[in-house]
Amino acid sequence: MMRHGLSRPSFLLALLAGTSLMSVGPAQAAPSVERGEYLARAADCEACHTVPGGVPFAGGRAFPVPGMGVIYAPNITPDPDHGIGKWTDDEFVRSVREGVSPGWKHLYPAMPYPAYARMSVDEVKDIRAWLATVPPSANTPSPNHLKFPFSIRAMMVGWNLLNGPASSYPDDPQKSAEWNRGRYLVEGPGHCADCHSPRTLTYGLSADRAFAGTVVNGLRAYNISPDKSSGIGGWSDEALAQYLSTGHADGHGTASADMAEVISFSLHYLTPADIHAMVVYLHDLKPQSSDDAASPPRKPAAGDDTLPQATKGARLFASTCAGCHLPDGSGRQSPFANIIGSRTLSADGGRNLVRIIMNGSTLTTASGNQIMPGFAGGNLSQRDLNDIAAFVMTHFTEATPSEDKLNAAAKGP
Amino acid sequence: MQTLRVNGQTHTVDVDPDTPLLWVLRDIIGLDGTKFGCGIAQCGVCTVHLDGRPVRACALQVSQIGDGAITTIEGLDDADPIVHAVKKAWIDLDVVQCGYCQPGQVMAAVGLLKTVKNPTDDQIDSAMSGNMCRCGTYMRIRKAIHLAAGEAV
Repeated sequence: MMRHGLSRPSFLLALLAGTSLMSVGPAQAAPSVERGEYLARAADCEACHTVPGGVPFAGGRAFPVPGMGVIYAPNITPDPDHGIGKWTDDEFVRSVREGVSPGWKHLYPAMPYPAYARMSVDEVKDIRAWLATVPPSANTPSPNHLKFPFSIRAMMVGWNLLNGPASSYPDDPQKSAEWNRGRYLVEGPGHCADCHSPRTLTYGLSADRAFAGTVVNGLRAYNISPDKSSGIGGWSDEALAQYLSTGHADGHGTASADMAEVISFSLHYLTPADIHAMVVYLHDLKPQSSDDAASPPRKPAAGDDTLPQATKGARLFASTCAGCHLPDGSGRQSPFANIIGSRTLSADGGRNLVRIIMNGSTLTTASGNQIMPGFAGGNLSQRDLNDIAAFVMTHFTEATPSEDKLNAAAKGP
Repeated sequence: MQTLRVNGQTHTVDVDPDTPLLWVLRDIIGLDGTKFGCGIAQCGVCTVHLDGRPVRACALQVSQIGDGAITTIEGLDDADPIVHAVKKAWIDLDVVQCGYCQPGQVMAAVGLLKTVKNPTDDQIDSAMSGNMCRCGTYMRIRKAIHLAAGEAV
């Protein structure tokens, strides 16, 4: 008899079994490690949760917040005691999307949870599934050093009311599928605005001046709105896609410092279709003009093999920089050393230029690492480095360097 | 596996794609005329030609070379009038002192004369500025390039 009918408890069991069977199907709720890895790259988790050169995801990287103190990125490896190995998936999702870790520990918005909330719960579970496969580390990062009252995490309850997590938004049917995918990548996992939008008085992201650029850690995060003169309005789709996926586009130079990290840890892993979607969305943003625009490049620089030897900056450029960048800036042996047209040559009074000459930059591409060494602390004084920067600004662009600005840039944040 | 064309010969080498060319030249292929200096493209001692253009082998990853033709100091063709003139000028003026940087200096000088037939002092200084010489033979190098330019015409 029982063969023809199920008792109520066994019917329930069968239902449960059915659900769990469904959940291991490929397109359904079971977390996908593969998709999680892709999303974790798109969300650039590694760059912040790793000390430069350290164990991936083991935390400890310092994030100075002006006026408030220093926040240290936590260990998010699957170590049960020092990482997040004991967290449930739901606790992980709540941390990433709402900024609340187990024990009602409110996260500070150095963690871009308002942007990550654009990812669905299932997508964040995918990220968790992949993070659970990275090697565990017993690293214990330093505790945050925050001034009172910022040291009170519960303050974030109020902050969240003002600037708080967005939610995943439905696709805009007026726009193309590419545009919608681009918006998701830029505003969600990519959290581009976290560096490229100015902050409001309460440290929220400015909606009025979205993507107009700002200063982060002493470096100018450039205007990436489609304004013709101060943003990316003059870039072709191809150039922007090339820049985002490889870190370099001829005529626009090479990504360096923090943007080089974004390319290295995140963007260079994205598919060409996703990069294209981001380009479509970025080119459709509201143009914002800003006062940090790069100066026009000076022509004809290409093919001009003779450097003026009249000033100290010129002689230092010849001996220190031209070995890789060539006298005309076109790059001796790597397309990544081609600096012609780069915003860094002149934007914001040479702020980034000075800091990159001082500290160098490393970019990881599909073909290996591209490294520019830093020149601070070597044989050259800061005065020498500023002289090089001033020469670069006047030789390759029409900028007028100001000594005060160069000195301020050299001092850093 | 990377395939490289060096001095007209094809070599297939089993190295990581980001291995610097200089390592492959000296340690694997055995062409040790090209010297190691600083390792960060600051001294010019490891200069070789990639499709005729002077490059720093210590900072050139093999994956970036593709099917470009590499020429080292061993592969300079004496039948080439510029190569011949540079070597002769170097001997005539006794340019070399300790000699360690000279393979790089010669490669840079040949590269310059291939693109600029009769360079001015400023052009020489610009093109040779990335090639250091601890003995300070710069004045003789400049003179030798002028001499070679005159003879190669």
